[in-house]
Amino acid sequence: MDGPGVGWYLIVAAILFGVGALGVMLRRSPLIVLLSLEIMLNAANLTLIAFARQRGDLDGQIFALSVVAVAAAEVAIGLGLIVAMARRRLVLDVDRASELRG
Amino acid sequence: MIAGAWICLLAPLAGALAITLAGRRISRRTAGWISTLTTFAAFGGALVAFVGLRATDSADREQLSTAYTWLAAGDFEVGFQILLDPLSSVMMLIVSGVGGLIVWYSMGYMHGDDEERRYFAYMSIFVFAMLLLVEAGNFLLLLVGWGLVGLASYLLIGFWHKRPEAVAAAKKAFVMNAIGDATFALACVLLIWETGTLEFFGVFEGVGSMSSTTVNLVALGLLGGAVAKSAQIPLHTWLPDAMEGPTPVSALIHAATMVTAGVYLLVRASPIFEAAPDIQHLAAILGAVTLLVAGLVALVQWDIKRVIAYSTMSQIGYMFMAAGIGAYGYAIFHLMTHAFFKALLFMSAGVVIHHLDGEQDIRKMGGLKGVMPRTHIAFLVGTLALVGIPPFAGFWSKDGIISSALATGGALGWSLYVAGLVGALLTGAYGFRLYYTVFRGESAGTEASHAHEAKGEGPLSMLVPVGILTVLATIGGLVVIPGVWEPFLHWIDEAAESLVEPTVVQDYGTSAIAVGLGLIGLYLARRAFFTNRQLVTNPGAWRVFEHKLYFDELYDALFYRPVVAIATALRRNVEEPIIERSLDEIGAGTIQVGGEVARVQSGLLRTYTVAIAFAVCVLVIVFVAVR
Amino acid sequence: MGNVLVWVIWFLGAGGCLASGIAVVSVTNPFYSALALIGNLASLAVLYLLLAAEFLAAAQVLVYAGAVMVMFLFVVAYLGGRTDAPWAGEPAMLRTAAVVAAAALLVEVVVVLGLAWGDSLQEPAEVSDSFGSPAEIGELFLTDHLLAFEITSIVLLVAAIGGVVLGTTPEKEESA
Repeated sequence: MDGPGVGWYLIVAAILFGVGALGVMLRRSPLIVLLSLEIMLNAANLTLIAFARQRGDLDGQIFALSVVAVAAAEVAIGLGLIVAMARRRLVLDVDRASELRG
Repeated sequence: MIAGAWICLLAPLAGALAITLAGRRISRRTAGWISTLTTFAAFGGALVAFVGLRATDSADREQLSTAYTWLAAGDFEVGFQILLDPLSSVMMLIVSGVGGLIVWYSMGYMHGDDEERRYFAYMSIFVFAMLLLVEAGNFLLLLVGWGLVGLASYLLIGFWHKRPEAVAAAKKAFVMNAIGDATFALACVLLIWETGTLEFFGVFEGVGSMSSTTVNLVALGLLGGAVAKSAQIPLHTWLPDAMEGPTPVSALIHAATMVTAGVYLLVRASPIFEAAPDIQHLAAILGAVTLLVAGLVALVQWDIKRVIAYSTMSQIGYMFMAAGIGAYGYAIFHLMTHAFFKALLFMSAGVVIHHLDGEQDIRKMGGLKGVMPRTHIAFLVGTLALVGIPPFAGFWSKDGIISSALATGGALGWSLYVAGLVGALLTGAYGFRLYYTVFRGESAGTEASHAHEAKGEGPLSMLVPVGILTVLATIGGLVVIPGVWEPFLHWIDEAAESLVEPTVVQDYGTSAIAVGLGLIGLYLARRAFFTNRQLVTNPGAWRVFEHKLYFDELYDALFYRPVVAIATALRRNVEEPIIERSLDEIGAGTIQVGGEVARVQSGLLRTYTVAIAFAVCVLVIVFVAVR
Repeated sequence: MGNVLVWVIWFLGAGGCLASGIAVVSVTNPFYSALALIGNLASLAVLYLLLAAEFLAAAQVLVYAGAVMVMFLFVVAYLGGRTDAPWAGEPAMLRTAAVVAAAALLVEVVVVLGLAWGDSLQEPAEVSDSFGSPAEIGELFLTDHLLAFEITSIVLLVAAIGGVVLGTTPEKEESA
């Protein structure tokens, strides 16, 4: 079936990636940062699958599946961190966690 | 026979090492014995070598023995080699013989000193170094010995290192000798450049093909070293100050041996000097000037050791004069007799000082003839030998020098002749001034000298060497009776042939005049003493002589002050602001930059994220560009 | 006719992706943010189907949207949907820098794509009908990419343990 070429998908993925990056850099709530991170991961997935289709090679899809699994793991840990922070009554603000200073 | 020479060289070194390594485990007395016995062992070796050499054929009397190749650079090679020839054999005997007597004497003199072991170790090092100097077979090894005796001299002058005057004197001696070392080394460099070797025979053969400028420079360099080491004008100011060291040190180093090293060098390198006659005559002139100046200064000194020190300077002036006109045999002959009577004078002075518990001012002495009869005899013999009254040793050698000057003729010869005769007069004057002031008349001293009348003259270890030297000062000159028997001169001739030989008439004629002048000097001194006056009455002259012709002040103004001023100025204007501060600023700057850079680590996670984003951008460009 | 359909579906999917993505980032309420992400995942699934990745589309919806996002929503509910600190504060320089960085990244990617549009991105390869089917993917996982498979499972195990550890209550830790 003819449709949009692979390039179009790549552009969508790129825009999605940029949007996610903006979210990571500009939001202060760790939850939203995590969600933006998910967007970036999904953009990467889209790119992988697009190229898999382009080259006729299923390796891209395998990679994307692994990315999904890893993303799930990361979300689990991230949420665990956030819950722990909330339990200790810390303010959920990324800017407050600034002890990594020089 | 050559083994004897090696033993002579190495015995004192072994002694020094033994004393050093044994440290506090041996008693002080033992250290003294080790030093004395090894020095006498060296004398034994020298004797064996000498006798063996006499037994060999005249043509074979230059024996070179190399232990190993010390230095090799390309074609240039220097071996650790000793030369046994008539000249070196005589020097070996003098150094080890007189040295042994003096070390033995030190056992009594230094008894009770806390650091006796160090003293004897240094003495042994000195004897070794001096023997190395006279036995060396090439210029480099000679230079090594040269430097080492300078070092030993520094160590021994400053032996009582808690005294600031001693330390200052030691430094002064070392620095002035360093000037001589530098010129000597430069001369060696020139020799390597021109002849490619430093061995005596190689160099002497190559002298003929060197340009006149080169050979003059080499001779000048060697002369510079000799002048410094032998305390001749203009590098003489260190010798009087060197009297800060113990008296045996003054006797050994600054009378009998080290200061004569310059004379030895002049004789040993005679082929070089003969190829540069101007420089050789310069040596003679310097010697003549020194002997006059030193004689004048000695007339006004109050310290017993300083009088004898100036006397040494003056006598070495005679030796320089002799070597400068080519009378090598007489130069070495006078070196030997001088070693005898000067060591004798110093050592008897040492007995006096020891007896008076360290008093050295002759104004506080007097009338010691009755208290110390044996020392009195010794000192008298020494003074007679010094002034050159027959048959004592100095007579034969000194007059030989003066008559050689006469035989040389020409303007140079005549002026040197006159200088030598005037010197004889001065010697008589200051020598007997000293004798009368110390030993005759009434005891002018403090309670110290009275209290010690009950004591004996001194321990055996001090009196026996003095006695031996008294005998030597009496008969030591009899190896040269001009016209009759001259074995000594012929012996030295084989190593360095004299350029001038006075006739018998010249010799005896000069002797008569010289002895006469010496007796006049004696008479003047005696008269001045018994009328309670000084020999130099003019206060202006007195002041000039007392300040040693203001040489010290001149050098201070010419060299010391400018250098110190430059150094201080540099420190204030260059080192502190630029170098020190710059280091500080580098440090401060680094901290500052570090502080600035640290602000990047704000701790805000978002900063890091943005940084990562930018990094990724850059990476993308890189990847694209690379592809 | 079919061609137009594909394009329409593509536009719907892409549009939904971008809209929900922007929503995730810009909405203040985290609850709505999470919901927007679910929408994003669904749109992506559509796009995956267009790219002949059926298994992946299904897995995405089941695992990602069905499990991970549910977990997310649980946590948001637990936290009470706070709306504190919506957007980033100072320093202002950082905000502009962030925007610049993202823009730069976008521009770069577009440029690269533009450069490659002509040649390597023209014709997609011919694929069989079973391309992207569970059978093929499963076969690859168990043969060529077995190591990736195993390691991924270990990662998940570690994450599970980590989650448990992080979830222990403070009281329990103090008494231990």
